[in-house]
Amino acid sequence: MLIVKNLMKRFRLDGKTVKENRKKNRNALDPREDGIWFNAVRDVSFSCGAGQVLGLIGPNGAGKTTSLRMLSTALQATSGQIMINGEDVIAEPLAMRKRIGFLSGTTSLYHRLTVRENVEYFGRLHGMNEADLQVEINNIFNMLDIHSFADKKADSLSTGMKQRANIARTVIHRPEVIVLDEPTTGLDVIAAKSILDFIESYKGGDVPLIFSTHHLHEVEKLCDKVVLIDQGVTRFDGDVNDFRQISGNSSLYDSFLKLVSDKEVKNV
Amino acid sequence: MFRVYLKELLELTRDRKTLIFTILLPTLIMPVIMFGFAAVTVKIANKAVTEELKYAIIGQQYYPGLVDEIKKDDSMQLVDIPEDKSAKQYIENNEIRFALEIEESAADKLDNKEPVNIKMLYNDSLATSELIYQRVNKALKDYKQNFILQRYEQLGLTESQGKGLNEPFTIVKESTANERESLGEKIGGLLPYILIIIGLSGAMYPAIDLGVGEKERGTLETLLLTPVSRFSIVFAKFLVIFTTSFVSIFLTLLSFALISLTTGDLMASFFPDPVFTEKTEQLITTLSGISLLDIFLMFLMLVPIAAIFASILLSVSIYARTFKEAQNYMSPILLVIIFPLIISLLPGVKLDWFWASVPITNISLAIKEIFKGTIDFDMLIVIFVSTTIIAGALLALCNWWFQREQVLFRS
Repeated sequence: MLIVKNLMKRFRLDGKTVKENRKKNRNALDPREDGIWFNAVRDVSFSCGAGQVLGLIGPNGAGKTTSLRMLSTALQATSGQIMINGEDVIAEPLAMRKRIGFLSGTTSLYHRLTVRENVEYFGRLHGMNEADLQVEINNIFNMLDIHSFADKKADSLSTGMKQRANIARTVIHRPEVIVLDEPTTGLDVIAAKSILDFIESYKGGDVPLIFSTHHLHEVEKLCDKVVLIDQGVTRFDGDVNDFRQISGNSSLYDSFLKLVSDKEVKNV
Repeated sequence: MFRVYLKELLELTRDRKTLIFTILLPTLIMPVIMFGFAAVTVKIANKAVTEELKYAIIGQQYYPGLVDEIKKDDSMQLVDIPEDKSAKQYIENNEIRFALEIEESAADKLDNKEPVNIKMLYNDSLATSELIYQRVNKALKDYKQNFILQRYEQLGLTESQGKGLNEPFTIVKESTANERESLGEKIGGLLPYILIIIGLSGAMYPAIDLGVGEKERGTLETLLLTPVSRFSIVFAKFLVIFTTSFVSIFLTLLSFALISLTTGDLMASFFPDPVFTEKTEQLITTLSGISLLDIFLMFLMLVPIAAIFASILLSVSIYARTFKEAQNYMSPILLVIIFPLIISLLPGVKLDWFWASVPITNISLAIKEIFKGTIDFDMLIVIFVSTTIIAGALLALCNWWFQREQVLFRS
């Protein structure tokens, strides 16, 4: 079970921006800025149970990637709580990394290593023993159909192959939570389908899977839950059917647009 | 940490640029510079000594005896220059190598036992000009000597008395410095300069690759998600850069050691009957005199320098947003490092306690002293320890830098 509660992350603005902000009227600033700090994530809360697939949506710059990066421990949260099966991720980031599998557009494979070398390397860094590692590699390579290019260097692969290999890297250590940040971005239909099939395979299992996306049809097809973040704040956290009802019809797009355009009313 | 270190090394060995900068370049640069210098010098000297020299004599009629004497030398060929042409032009056009100009009053001066001035025109900017001058003097040496003896005889003096008349006293120079020390002082600064620059260039590309290169390729964040502490990651990266820098230096020194041990034989095999200039002979003697202990000490002095480079370059590389930005930062770093190196090359800058406290300059001067065979071991220890402390402090700074999100995720 993954629980995210009142998550917040702020970054110090660079000197030039701070100077410019001093000259500006406070009302002219981005609502997430206070002149010196930029609150990329202000208040994000959601939860995801074992076997659930959660779709994280929101406009560009909403704070999705920052939230997921905090979840992965790449970034340290300014405040808030992230719990995985009752254990505090923020307090023990190093130990908790073994229990999280994270993939995003900024997490790639070593291009001078083969796919197998990459996956083996990350498995070993996660402390897997050699026998378990080889069994797991075989299973995952079968599941993602990687065997045919397992011994090719990563830089010689197509985008789709790279993404499949990257997913293998993400889950090699059998994480307790899987987090995928826009996993189908830039992929062709066939490659995207293989990724979506992989996500679907986790439905009903014992691992919560969270993925962010801009493709609402993916949410519709795969997700048990949907969380919408806008301007660093959770606008919606519930199941897909409830999300549909927001707009009064069955369109996820209309609900999305309604929530995002209502933001000023609901601003916290 | 060790696993990260090995993986980074494996990746680097699969990169052609790294192999060129850390293995090929340092292995070849010393043989090319040292052996190449000696070989080219010997070849040029050989040519200058054996080639047929074309020359002209202006005012032959004023001193026929001397002209007859120089004509006897078969290795030189007298060329007639028309009166309306200048000897200088002939030299500039490479039609002759030199010209002797005898003054009009030569005969009178000879009669009055006064010295006759003979001007030698030649191109002093040529590397072999000194050898040409020596050949002309050699051709006239016996003639001149016999002439002097005849005059002594006419004056009723023995050879020794004649010499005493000419030079009542002479000051004979005797250097307390041996050949190695003397040459070390002159060119010893070049060795640390090359070694330090090689160490820097060996570290530069891997540092960019392992820092900002990983950032750009997206593999740094992947690594940060593993249960490996950030200190272990930064230390592993530091060690890889240190290794490549050190391997570059090691290979340079190794090839230098091989040259030191084999220069004499190599030169002999390439040039069975060489004409060595004084400087080339001195260089070969000096190189042959450098022991393995000296090489080891030079090696030891470069360990903390490689660590300093690794820490600085990794910090800069991690800070940069892009490969290009990192390369832009490298130029000022190169200047900052070269500046103290150049100071060590300045005349009058010697290893004393003041210069021993200036980083990089002190290492450069210490290596020069080792090369000369005149190192003060107390000073060597102080330099080694102080540079190691600086390297440690820079590594700590690099680690602190690497922990900062503003640096790792700078955008």
